[in-house]
Amino acid sequence: MLEWFRFGLTALFLTLGLFVLAVGIVGQYRFRYVLNRMHAASMGDSLGILLVVVGLCLSCGDGWMILKMLLMVVFLWIASPTGSHLIARLEATTNEHLENHMEVRRL
Amino acid sequence: MTKNGRLSRWLADSQSPLDSAEIRALTEHAGDRSEQSTEAFDAREATRERKQRETVELERQLNRRVHEWSFTSGFRLLRRLYRVLAALTCGGIVFFLLLTVNALPPFGAAENPYNNEVSRRYIEDGLRETGSVNMVTGMILDYRAFDTFGESTVLFTGACAVLLLLKLNDCADGKPTKAWLEAEYDDRHHEPKNDQILQTAARALTPVVLLFGLYVVLNGHLSPGGGFSGGAIMGAGLVLYLNAFGFQNTERFFGYNTFRWTIFLALMTYAGLKSYSFYTGANHLESGVSLGVPGAIFSSGFILPLNICVGLIVMCTMYGFYTLFRKGGL
Repeated sequence: MLEWFRFGLTALFLTLGLFVLAVGIVGQYRFRYVLNRMHAASMGDSLGILLVVVGLCLSCGDGWMILKMLLMVVFLWIASPTGSHLIARLEATTNEHLENHMEVRRL
Repeated sequence: MTKNGRLSRWLADSQSPLDSAEIRALTEHAGDRSEQSTEAFDAREATRERKQRETVELERQLNRRVHEWSFTSGFRLLRRLYRVLAALTCGGIVFFLLLTVNALPPFGAAENPYNNEVSRRYIEDGLRETGSVNMVTGMILDYRAFDTFGESTVLFTGACAVLLLLKLNDCADGKPTKAWLEAEYDDRHHEPKNDQILQTAARALTPVVLLFGLYVVLNGHLSPGGGFSGGAIMGAGLVLYLNAFGFQNTERFFGYNTFRWTIFLALMTYAGLKSYSFYTGANHLESGVSLGVPGAIFSSGFILPLNICVGLIVMCTMYGFYTLFRKGGL
């Protein structure tokens, strides 16, 4: 009974994670502007990875393995927003017609 | 009258190069026109102009039609053609690949070609002969160490070629050259400088990344990993540090001379160690290097130093490529 419960929870988390990743991929191709695309992509990097790893943690159940996988999530949560920030910064500094895409408040 | 004669006469400048008949033929038409009445001339000019205008109009219409066609139905046709061709190409490739897969022997069958005496030897005697728990490392750094040496040399050659192509000349008299200044300006203009978020992230991540790379290199004979993957991780850590803190900070510990000497000494150490073990092995001599206890960190003979050499080469190559492509210098 407990095993089945664990299996169901694992499957639920994995499916949710894969759904978020798939939405991110669809968004990357459907959006036309770099910042919108980045938003879609970083969703998969943060929420999708977290859901998948939580599902894997539930299925494996080994303490050290869970710790390693959570460390992976922590690493990605530090690295991925930093990368997104750099891309957004480059776009904001190099695009001369930024106001065509969004509301810009010049300081 | 020959051409020669005409040419020589023309050169001597005694007579016009054209015969009098030819001159008459050229000037006759103009003479005719001047004799005609102005009305006839005007009428003819008007017809000519109208015809010309009609031709231009026709041409413009044709152009517009071609233009419109290429932007509407032609574009649609091309897109449809592209999709059909893409589907056909993909289908064809999938078909032939599946055909090839169908011809392969079943996965994991005992009589498959890769289950031969070589892999049996690696699996059964690898631990005893190389002392390496990680079978793959024992294979690539002991049985096939010469091949790995070639791979390292490929990396070294690639680094040399990129250096030759992209390295900006140093200043001879202490003054930076114009190209160097331009590269410096471009770098400052486009790359993140003093980015608070990146610096905080790098402060947290760089030590972890470098430590993990070192672990992967040093544990190459005990766990999955080795020189290539660990070197790539360490190179990525260095690139992260460089991006966050700039060239002035990295040049304190990793400049051009460090790059040069590290990659050279690592390659030479590899060559020396492996020459020694090949020499003793081929002549059935005692090498004097004990394989140690399998599983200990100082074990399996030359594999640990060879892994370190390969890791250093890969790290230097990755970091050098990045800096050379970014600014043309280390």
